[in-house]
Formats: sequence, C-alpha cells, structure tokens
Amino acid sequence: MTNPAIRSDPEKLLRQVMARFVDQEVTPRAREIDERGEFPQELFKKLASMNVFNVRYLGMKKGATGNATLYCIICEELARGLVSLAAETAKQCLMGTNFLYRFGSPELKEKYLEPSMRGEMVGSFCLTEPEAGGDLGSVTTTAVDDGDHWIISGMKTWITNAPIASYFTVLCQTQPGKGIRGLNFFFVPRDTPGVQVSPRFDTLGTRTTEISEVAFNDCRIPKDYLVGLPGKGMGAFFAILAEIRTMTAALALGVARAAFDASFQYAQERKAFGKTISKYQLIQAKISDMATDIWAAELMIYDTTRKLDQGQRVDKESMMAKYFATEVACRCVDQATRILGAYAYSMEYPVQRFFRDARFLLYGGGTHEVLRQNIARAMRF
Amino acid sequence: MRIVVMVKQVPDTTEVRIDPKTGTLIREGVASVMNPDDRLGLETALSLKDAAGGEVIAVSMGPPQAVDVLSEAYAMGADRGVLLTDINFAGADTWATSYTLGKVVERLAAEEPVDLVICGRQAIDGDTAQIGPQLAEHLGWPQVTYVGQVRSEGDQLRAWRRLPDGDQEVLCPLPAVVTVLDTPGEPRWPRVERLLEACRPRAPLESWNAADIGAPADKTGLRGSLTQVVETFSPKTKRETRWLEGTPAEQAAALVADLREKKVL
Ligand SMILES: Cc1cc2nc3c(=O)[nH]c(=O)nc-3n(C[C@H](O)[C@H](O)[C@H](O)COP(=O)(O)OP(=O)(O)OC[C@H]3O[C@@H](n4cnc5c(N)ncnc54)[C@H](O)[C@@H]3O)c2cc1C
Ligand SMILES: Cc1cc2nc3c(=O)[nH]c(=O)nc-3n(C[C@H](O)[C@H](O)[C@H](O)COP(=O)(O)OP(=O)(O)OC[C@H]3O[C@@H](n4cnc5c(N)ncnc54)[C@H](O)[C@@H]3O)c2cc1C
Repeated sequence: MTNPAIRSDPEKLLRQVMARFVDQEVTPRAREIDERGEFPQELFKKLASMNVFNVRYLGMKKGATGNATLYCIICEELARGLVSLAAETAKQCLMGTNFLYRFGSPELKEKYLEPSMRGEMVGSFCLTEPEAGGDLGSVTTTAVDDGDHWIISGMKTWITNAPIASYFTVLCQTQPGKGIRGLNFFFVPRDTPGVQVSPRFDTLGTRTTEISEVAFNDCRIPKDYLVGLPGKGMGAFFAILAEIRTMTAALALGVARAAFDASFQYAQERKAFGKTISKYQLIQAKISDMATDIWAAELMIYDTTRKLDQGQRVDKESMMAKYFATEVACRCVDQATRILGAYAYSMEYPVQRFFRDARFLLYGGGTHEVLRQNIARAMRF
Repeated sequence: MRIVVMVKQVPDTTEVRIDPKTGTLIREGVASVMNPDDRLGLETALSLKDAAGGEVIAVSMGPPQAVDVLSEAYAMGADRGVLLTDINFAGADTWATSYTLGKVVERLAAEEPVDLVICGRQAIDGDTAQIGPQLAEHLGWPQVTYVGQVRSEGDQLRAWRRLPDGDQEVLCPLPAVVTVLDTPGEPRWPRVERLLEACRPRAPLESWNAADIGAPADKTGLRGSLTQVVETFSPKTKRETRWLEGTPAEQAAALVADLREKKVL
C-alpha cells in the first residue's frame, strides 16, 4: 500500500512468544512437574501445537543445519523455565529426529517423523555405552550385514527419553577394528524384537527427563534403516556436532539467566542489618559478575549460530561456546545459592532446581576436560 | 464468515507506571505485547472460522512496531493483517480511535461484506472498554458486549454474555460488533512456521495510512479527539487503623455503625 512493507523481526518475535510461553505455561508449573519427575507430556504437546519441533527443518535446505539461531532462542528461553523440558525439546528437534529426517525413506518419515513433529512420538539418540562415553571410537554395539537386513547387537546407556521413546537412532560399529571410521547410524523402532529398555535411572537433576539403558539383542532391521551415508556415518554426526554443542550452550544460558533473575529480584527485597542486601558491595560484585558472564555467553552463542546459519564451520567456536556458557551456568547457579541464603536450600524455591539442573549440561556435547583439549587441537597447538 | 478482529499492542505490565514529572505513561524499557483480551478475540474468530470457514482479518492501529501483534495474529491463524499507522493518528482518544477503526472496517467492507467485528472487552493500558461500543455506533451495527462464547447460526450470531449475576444468551443479527472477555478453551499458541512467514516481504500484512482509509486529519489523532488528558497520576491510598474496644458485641455494633456511616453497608 502507500506505506512500505513493515515487518517484524523473526528472532525478536519468536523470543517474545517463547518467553510468554515460559512465563505463562512453564514457570508456574515447573516445581510440580519436576517433583513428579515424569516426562511433561502436556507441555510437550503444546510445543508441538506451535510446530516448535520443526524449527530446524523449516530452514534446512541442503546442509545439515537450519535456523540454528531460532532453534537456540527456543532452547534458551525454555531452559529459563525448566531445563529438562528444554533438553527434551532440543533433542526432539535435533539428535532425536535428525538422521530420520536426513536419511529416512519417505515411508519411514511418514510413519515416524510426522507423528514426532506432532508430539505423538518421542525420538531417542544412542551413542554412549557402558565402556564408551566421550571416547566414541570404542563403541562396541555392532551392525552386521545379513543380506536384506542388519542385525544390531549391543548395549547403550544414559539414553535420554529411552523409557518413553518410540524409536532409537543407534550408533553402531559396522567394521570392528576400524574405530571411528567404521561407525554409522541405524534406525531401530522400539517394537523391534530384541529391544529391551531398563527401568529409569535416578538422577540429581533434570528429573522430568527419563533416562535408561537400552539393550539390542540381535535386532533385525530392514536394510534401508541405515540412516547415514554408507562408510561415512560420523560425517553426518560431525555435521551436527557443532550445533549440538551450541544448543547445549543455549540451554546453559537459559538456566544462567533464571539464576540471575532470581538473584537480582531477591537481593532487592531481602533486608539484612537494616538495608537490602543489594546495597552490599559483595552482593553487587556477584550480580555484576553474573551479568557480565551472561552477556559474554550470549555474544558467543549467537555469533556461533549466525555463522552456522551462513553455513560456516564453527568447530572451535561451538566448543568454546559450550565450554564457556556451561561454566557460566554453573557459576551463576552457585552464586544464586549464596545470594538467596537458606531459601536457596529449600525445595520450595526454584534456585535449588537450577543448581541441580545445570550440572546436567557438563556432560553432553563433550566434557570440558575433553573440549579444552580439542580447542587447543583446533588451533593446531 | 468474514471477521475483522481489533488487536491492540499494549505495554507488558498490569501496573503501568507514570512519570511524575510529565504525567505520561513510562513506556521505555517495558516490552510490548498483544492485549490479553484481544488474544481471546482472535481465538473467538478463529474458532468460528474452524467451524464454518471464512476469513479472519486482524487490524491494529499503532506505531510501526505494532506490526508484531499482527504477525502473532497471523501465526495464530489469521489470514490477513492491516496495520494503521500514520503520524496523524497519534494522540487519539477513544472517540478518534474508534472513528479510525470504523473507517478501516468500512474500507474492508467495500471490498467484500464484513459479517462480524470482534474487539477485546478492554485494553490493559487505556482500560476504558469504550472502543467496541463506540465502533458499533460509528458503523451503526448492533453490539454484544462481555461475550464469553459465540456460535454462528446462518445470518445470526448466538452469543453468551458473562454478566456478574450469570450468563445471558443473545441472538443478534449480522453484521454486528462483539466484545469478548473469555473463550471456552485457552487461546491457541502461534505456530512457528507462520511466525516466520509473517516476517517475509510477501506476507499478507498491509500498512494503511490516513489517505488509504479516507480519514481527514481533523477527525483522527489528537485533533479528532473530544477529550483531553489534563493530568494522569497514580491514586494515593491512605490507610488508617482504628482499634475497637469493648465486648465482642459492642465491637461488632461499633464496626457496623462505622461501615454504615462510611456508606459501605
Ligand atoms: C543427563 C544425561 C543425559 C544423557 N543423555 C544421553 C543420550 O541421550 N544419549 C547418549 O548417547 N548419551 C547420553 N548421555 C551420556 C553423555 O553423553 C556422557 O556422559 C558423556 O559422553 C561423557 O561420557 P561418560 O559420562 O562416560 O564420561 P567419560 O568419558 O568416562 O569421562 C569420565 C571423566 O574422564 C574425563 N576424560 C575422558 N577422556 C578424557 C581425556 N581424553 N582427557 C582428559 N579427561 C578425560 C572426562 O572429562 C570426565 O571427567 C547423557 C548423560 C547425562 C548425564
Ligand atoms: C480521555 C482520554 C485521552 C487519551 N489521550 C490519549 C493521548 O493523548 N495519546 C495517546 O496515545 N493515547 C490517549 N488515550 C488512550 C487511547 O485513546 C486509548 O488507548 C485508545 O483509544 C483505546 O482505548 P482503550 O485503550 O481504553 O481501549 P478499550 O476500549 O479498553 O479497548 C477495547 C478493545 O478495542 C480494541 N482496540 C483498542 N485500541 C485499539 C487499537 N489501537 N488498535 C486496534 N484495536 C484497538 C481492542 O480490541 C481492545 O481490546 C486517551 C484515552 C482517554 C480515555
């Protein structure tokens, strides 16, 4: 019309909507959901009604990443409300469904991917084994070529969502002795004979996330359930690894902000020795440190996502962002438990939950001992 | 059914703070959101569309950034959005606002008849609840206010009004104006892919100015306003404690007498 087209900024708009979702739907119920410790089905369905699980695929053309910035905004905001819900969402958008999306046959996608986007099915990603954590070259679950089938055998552990998952994307060795180069991904529906899921683990934090072991006892799956490039399985994994790490950093940023917000508010209300504790320099120092840390993490994360969205390689940046932001989260939740005094120690207040949940971020996406080694290596040091 | 929904962008706070020096609202640092009742208005329109088909057009008057509420309306399922933005519209009171919104409805109706206009009952910043009723006056259409549920019945609308003493069921000819304060279910959440679509140049979101709706300058904005804000202030509340003495019966009698005197009883 007469005025030039006036448009919203997609990042700002999505953040506004997700922030409102968190304030209205997640935060008021977070304690109850966390105490119940069950998968938050109702909120998961609501997120599906918003088509949140599709956010990466909406932007994906040829490459492995799409809409990394928008994806991380969603993860960050949700983590501000409930880290476990954020992690479940993050997984459904990325590791849980990525290989099915990229390599699944049209029939497989219709049967599993579409219901997953509608929140009716949950996907699960199986790398870790009892004897192989960060060191994936030692994975011993095997996929044996048996004519028109693969036979999968082995044991996976620490598998997020396994107790409720409808299918598993499983990292298997196809050429024992080849190490990393023999690995590839296989799609195993839960109802495949031989799949056995253990009772769930009891964990310190992210208690709505159900985690367990999964045993694959000679599971026969059709040939086209190989969801990776033959002979180059880890290539497809390395293509999303930077995004997994950046997403983990975004989860960390979300929980750091939650800890900061709680501290910022409480310090201005709580009185000690005749004034609010916000008037004391040592409390001011904590608030300043938290805010500075959070800003730095934010800059690192969204600089990395923008590069991802432009198709740049961000191996080093994503490791740095994951390492830094997670340490920031751990520092912020620690400071919050000091600022809130005894109330941080009470199960009635959310700070104890932030404290427990932040620890979860230390392991996935690479432990910091391994990451720091790899950051140095990425600089050819 | 062709439905126009009026959507206002408001500051995200129920306790709007006022600058003691200038007497105006402090909007800096306060995020803007869709007026909560207008989300209900959209839900009402979209569920009518779900049931019987049709078109939902969201309309908002405001500065350029008010486009955000239209993008959200589109993401909830509205088919089209119209942003009314013009330097002339600034400073409008409710009379000038409802006049301007009425001109938009007239222009939309000239394209193709409009069956229903839905407003929120009230905006959380202006808080007057006048726009819906005034708009109905400008258009010369019947109005049903305080609606919590609707059903389309041919060229009539059945509406349930939430009144203090109970619900009132009303049958109203169309076209009409309805103001809503509730919906049977929760308003739906926006969908991500539509949020992104709304931000693209080709999105069906238009911006209209005063000339586009044929609104003369002396009828809109500050010049078209019948009222003037003389002063805006936060009312001061005073508290006073009085101790009642005597037996419980005497205390009760003193309390009742006091409340009678203050005309509370
Ligand atoms: C809540 C939660 C959910 C999880 N969900 C999943 C899931 O869905 N799917 C999945 O596959 N896995 C999952 N995991 C497993 C996670 O990926 C592993 O915990 C992670 O890979 C680390 O492995 P690990 O715990 O066996 O530690 P290890 O690799 O055994 O490491 C133990 C310690 O040794 C250090 N270390 C190891 N190697 C080196 C080295 N080269 N140099 C210096 N130090 C070293 C580590 O930093 C760490 O401190 C989950 C874990 C948790 C806690
Ligand atoms: C005496 C007086 C003087 C004022 N002077 C000024 C002034 O100088 N400058 C100034 O900026 N504001 C001024 N205002 C505020 C402004 O007039 C109102 O915000 C506006 O007219 C809407 O009124 P309301 O917020 O009370 O809406 P309500 O009547 O409470 O809103 C009901 C519904 O009407 C619809 N609606 C209302 N406004 C819009 C809109 N802009 N676009 C789309 N739909 C809408 C929505 O559906 C809303 O839910 C004044 C208000 C009054 C009462």
